[in-house]
Amino acid sequence: MLIEQSAYSNRWRSVAPAAKGIFSACGFVAIFAAKSPLTATFIAGLLLAVTLIGAGITPSRYWRVAAPALFFLAMGSLSLAFAIDLGDDHQLLHLAPNGMAKLAEVGTRSLGALAALLFLVLTTPLVDLIALLRRLKTPELLLEIMVLCYRMLFVFSAAVHETWHAQSARLGYASARLTIRSLGGLVANLTLQIWQRAHALHLAAQARNNDGPLRFLETSFANSGRDCRIAGLAGAGLIAFAVGMA
Amino acid sequence: MNNPLLELNQVSYRYPDGSVGLDGCSLRIARGSRNVLIGANGSGKTTLFQHCNGLLRAQSGAVRYGGKDIDYGRAGLRDLRGKVGMVFQNPDHQLFSASVQEDVSFGPLNLGLAMATVRQRVAASLQAVGMAEHADKAVHNLSFGQKKRVCIAGVLAMEPELLVLDEPMAGLDHAMQKELLVVLDGLHQRGITLLLATHNIDFAYRWAEHIHLMAAGRCTASLNAGELGEHAAALAAVGLPLPEVINLHRKLVERGLLPTTPAPRCTHSLLAMLTNVNIAKENP
Repeated sequence: MLIEQSAYSNRWRSVAPAAKGIFSACGFVAIFAAKSPLTATFIAGLLLAVTLIGAGITPSRYWRVAAPALFFLAMGSLSLAFAIDLGDDHQLLHLAPNGMAKLAEVGTRSLGALAALLFLVLTTPLVDLIALLRRLKTPELLLEIMVLCYRMLFVFSAAVHETWHAQSARLGYASARLTIRSLGGLVANLTLQIWQRAHALHLAAQARNNDGPLRFLETSFANSGRDCRIAGLAGAGLIAFAVGMA
Repeated sequence: MNNPLLELNQVSYRYPDGSVGLDGCSLRIARGSRNVLIGANGSGKTTLFQHCNGLLRAQSGAVRYGGKDIDYGRAGLRDLRGKVGMVFQNPDHQLFSASVQEDVSFGPLNLGLAMATVRQRVAASLQAVGMAEHADKAVHNLSFGQKKRVCIAGVLAMEPELLVLDEPMAGLDHAMQKELLVVLDGLHQRGITLLLATHNIDFAYRWAEHIHLMAAGRCTASLNAGELGEHAAALAAVGLPLPEVINLHRKLVERGLLPTTPAPRCTHSLLAMLTNVNIAKENP
């Protein structure tokens, strides 16, 4: 929901998704073109600054969205830096050979890639991203699955909340034993609801003459060309900086 | 009724679990009319609606549209569903696109229309239901009432001749119901035939031209709304009372406060009649 709220309320909501996609892609290229961890860190910082200052995403919201990914990144990076030794040596955990160098290289690049990705998803609603992917000739089946998953995510989230509240109101989670029992009921209820809702959506699609592929109208953006040119220039500058610093 | 737009003749349908959906149901809908289908839960309203759109196929009896038996072939259903639009009771069962505009475009694109035409129809439909400014919003960010309006817009964009709405007022607050009524009246003025299901006899009497009573999978009576007062027994047979305004009007007539005709269809009209009578008495 945090990503969703940012995507709809940021300063660059009306900027063409293609432009934001170009800048984000350039960010990825720049990160991988960066030869030193310092350059990669600088590019990650630039992408972060663009997201916070340019698009107007609040630092607290950014942090809350990034925190889970940063946690996994930290865990992954630590496993690169340290090695477990089960030999005779009493010290179980060792600093791996070149561990810190690998940590710096992979960690900063991952940070940059994360910043590029967050720039895109925090400034662009998924609806627009799907439309962009459609223009990029992504297979229709994949897009249909994305559309349905995205919509269903909110429908099922509502269903889970409703069922959970209904159970809580009747002391369904008052003890550990009741919690396990209620969770079982919740899963069983949701399974049935999924089937029923899938059937209802199928009927609704048929009622509107659907006979196969799901077809939708694409949103048009007034200044798409101009936005893409600006994003292209900014992205090229980012790549040039990464290559130049190498 | 000559040449009805939609006609169900002795239609029966039984669900795979054995429960009866329709049991020898007959119904006729006149072109350009406002119709209400009223009956208790489980009386077969939704099943009947799904027959109108060809979602369900009659196991016996016949469904005719525009004077012809429904063709359940691919082309026939395509033609029928382009003419009979159906709005489901729960908007979350109908809306599956990510954004408002996308969902409204779904039907017209399925009709094979050109993108420019679809864009035009989407804009016009959203305008008609007062949702134009929400075109780019995600569906899950809308209120229940707004979702209902998007559902209607999604069907309107297909420019149907007959619009079937399954309990459109369910879950809406008073203000939203009023807004929806304005939308429905606008559609009727555009010549669209309307058939909607409701449990509210007062609303049915106020709004509809024809009231069809449903019970146990059958249409037990089709009444002209203006003559509803004479059919108290038919209403009682399906567990419905006479509309409050009819009872109130009768009491006022008994006391000599109001004339027998015209019969008011809602309390608003009744109050207006009382006010007019008082003014007439004060200024003879």
